[in-house]
Amino acid sequence: MVQSAKSIPSTWCPGCGDFGVLAAVKKAMAELKIPTHETVLVGGIGCSGGIHNFLEINGIHALHGRLLAQAVGIKLANPKLTVIAAGGDGDGYAIGMGHFMHAFKKNASILYILMMNETYGLTKGQAAPTAPLGYEGNIERPFDGILTALSQQVPNFVARSFSGDPKGMTKILLEAIQFNREGRGFAFVEDLSPCVTYNDTYKAWREKVLDLSTLPGYDPADRKAIFRLYLETIEKGRIPIGVMHRPPAADAGAAPAPESLELKLLPDRTGPVAAEIGVAANQAAYQKLLQTVA
Amino acid sequence: MTTPAAHTTALPRDEGPAARRRIKELSDLAVLIGGQGGDGTLTVADLLGRYFRKRGLHVYTSRNVLSRIRGGHADSSIRACREPIAAIKSRNDLLVAFDAESLEIGKPELEPDGLILYDSSVFHSDLPNAIGFPFATLAGGKLGAPIYKNTTAYGVISQMMGFDPVLTRSVIEERFQRRGGELLEKNLKALELGREAATQNPDAMGRWTVAEGSATRHILTTGNQATALGFVVGGGRFFAGYPITPATEIMEYLQRYLPAFHGVVRQAEDELAAVNMVIGASYAGARSMTSTSGPGLALMTEGIGHAGAAEVPLVVADCQRVGPSTGEPTRHEQSDLLHLAHIGHGEFPRFILAPGTVEDCFYLTVDALNLAEKWRLPVLLLLDQALCQNSVTSDPFDLGRVHVDRGRRLSPEDVQKLESYRYYQFTPDGISPYAPPGTPGVTSQVTGNEHDEFGHVSVNTANRVRMMAKRMGKLEHARDELPLPHLYGEPGAKVGLIAYGSTTGAVREAQELLALRGIPTRFFQSRTIFPVQTHTLEPFLKEVDVAFVVECNYTGQYGQLIREALPQHHAKLRPILKYDGLPFRGPDLAHRVEEVLHGPVR
Repeated sequence: MVQSAKSIPSTWCPGCGDFGVLAAVKKAMAELKIPTHETVLVGGIGCSGGIHNFLEINGIHALHGRLLAQAVGIKLANPKLTVIAAGGDGDGYAIGMGHFMHAFKKNASILYILMMNETYGLTKGQAAPTAPLGYEGNIERPFDGILTALSQQVPNFVARSFSGDPKGMTKILLEAIQFNREGRGFAFVEDLSPCVTYNDTYKAWREKVLDLSTLPGYDPADRKAIFRLYLETIEKGRIPIGVMHRPPAADAGAAPAPESLELKLLPDRTGPVAAEIGVAANQAAYQKLLQTVA
Repeated sequence: MTTPAAHTTALPRDEGPAARRRIKELSDLAVLIGGQGGDGTLTVADLLGRYFRKRGLHVYTSRNVLSRIRGGHADSSIRACREPIAAIKSRNDLLVAFDAESLEIGKPELEPDGLILYDSSVFHSDLPNAIGFPFATLAGGKLGAPIYKNTTAYGVISQMMGFDPVLTRSVIEERFQRRGGELLEKNLKALELGREAATQNPDAMGRWTVAEGSATRHILTTGNQATALGFVVGGGRFFAGYPITPATEIMEYLQRYLPAFHGVVRQAEDELAAVNMVIGASYAGARSMTSTSGPGLALMTEGIGHAGAAEVPLVVADCQRVGPSTGEPTRHEQSDLLHLAHIGHGEFPRFILAPGTVEDCFYLTVDALNLAEKWRLPVLLLLDQALCQNSVTSDPFDLGRVHVDRGRRLSPEDVQKLESYRYYQFTPDGISPYAPPGTPGVTSQVTGNEHDEFGHVSVNTANRVRMMAKRMGKLEHARDELPLPHLYGEPGAKVGLIAYGSTTGAVREAQELLALRGIPTRFFQSRTIFPVQTHTLEPFLKEVDVAFVVECNYTGQYGQLIREALPQHHAKLRPILKYDGLPFRGPDLAHRVEEVLHGPVR
């Protein structure tokens, strides 16, 4: 066995909600029997973005807010890899907002886990875009990532999990990764992951979360119904969790993932990384290309 | 300096029909075609360029358009010459004016014996050397759309200069074939309309013929197309970009070329995403590139620094335009050089290569891919608007000169022989072996945080010092692998010229003019801008008494870099600068050199 990058002890505060995500990712990977060398975890900037260091996995630590762009680049270059992007709500909903919106449009089969805690923990507790009115003097209404996701033309897989419910979270992550591995496009999971140091919301959230799948009329393939259910639930002061949107398998062709689209066009379904790039191997095709120049 | 506007054009006196019938053979012809944006001036230049290339002439075409889809003055120029050229001519022999404004703009730069063809359905001119053709009404009346007036004008020119009719037609077919059908048919009809109109006008006929050349194998291409082709044959398989003038065509060509080679091209939501998608693809093991211009480069700065810190190969082509801010999107400048040399916060190594010709664009893009992958750092291609968008004839690109060097990339078998795999392994030359993610048995950690050899975050002071030395040391270790300069002119000449990018063409032309006036020169065409190539620059500077650093910016940016690297030679350096939005022209440059050497030249 070649010695290579090992996981290192986590730097998170004891009790951090991110531990729940770490455990759930480990469980999902083990259950799906995905080899570690075939998985890449792209971390954002912030406490949660360090998660790739605490797993035995290929990790790349992206720039603040740019993790989705890097993750899409990795997936398109080598579609055989399982690609997970993971970061915080400041990373995804503030500095990375443009890339978050476009990740739905790009629809590459990657999983994005956004750990939401309403605060910038690493810089000691400033208001995140999700912070409620009054938090650290916040006078702006909080941003709701799930509503944004559901409003996209192609929401694909959208879910919210809660670190206080490890079983439910593992189940959601399993489903999401499976969704990706079937080449069905983008999967987005917002995890409620309390910051025990600057915004300990465990108790409040535990009281407020409501699994939408327990409600009558719940159907994750029916976006209109889910939208209504979601709005009604937040109007009652509750926090909806669970799978919010998942197109039925039969509809998968309606919004194909780009890497599967592009690869279908190619003779042997090889992506950029596997492509033969030597001059000798491409001599005839290169000559033909150069001859197109008048 | 002689500004073009300072010339007054002496119009030829009408010497009667006998004089008019004297047929003059041109061996260096320049045509300026002016009109409103959307009039299709570019098409006329393109058609003429294609024709003259087929006649074995060297061709250079340039454009002068505003940053808008339609309207506003726009012009294109085409130069055809028996000698190799890579710059526009100072004076035009023929001016085609689709509106009165174009005539006024073009007149000062017309040769004293030059001719004007104007659209008499739009305006009237009394100038003795102006010949009117109702281009718009001809095309509108016979073809139902005045838009074909440009091809009608091409028809008139072809007839008055005695073009070969078969070749003239084949140029139209070649140009419009891909779009086919009605468009091709109407353009062929427009050509005939123009030819007929010229035949019926005795004023237009029998004035000039254009010499034939011997460069029959030449291709006609732009720097952007050459860069895209170099990327493909250099093994590039992933490209992400965001539309920006004058870089966009690189992305557009690759959208056409790459899918056939298992490659992927994506148009991103902005330059931040483009550069980070490229970093992701490159980290995954695909040869990748993005291209942009000043404003996009500003956004990519963050990603370029990240690639430098994380040691991920990255190639960025910067098609410079007039800055700062939005500047003049369609105009020429070379003012990003110092930005690239110092790009990013903190310190990390980067190479800057500067192609000076379309051939350079092709081969140096291959070099950039090889260097980036081998040395695992950002390589920046310094292009400029004139180089990117003006088309020029060149020798066909030679695959025999293209090699793919993947550096210390490990196969799965190589990896199994290792005791340990460390993405940031310390080595004597700073290059750590690389196994792409997905290689069985190993994983890696890659980060823009300072890190240890395994890629884990570290603030250990000794490690920090070693990692800085590992990265920065590449600048010195790679020195002999970076593209060498091209040297032109007379060895031992005491007057030196230093330039890069498209300025190369004007400098070479100026060299010839200066030689004719008894001033032999030696020209150092720099192809590696950074790190400053002191080992090639210093011997050059020792040989000359004076070195003119010719560049299109206000502050003499390359001159500053050279002065900083070789302070002992600073007294020899003389900047010749231009920052009006247009590239240098050979005669003007020669004039400026002479002025400095001998005082004001009359």
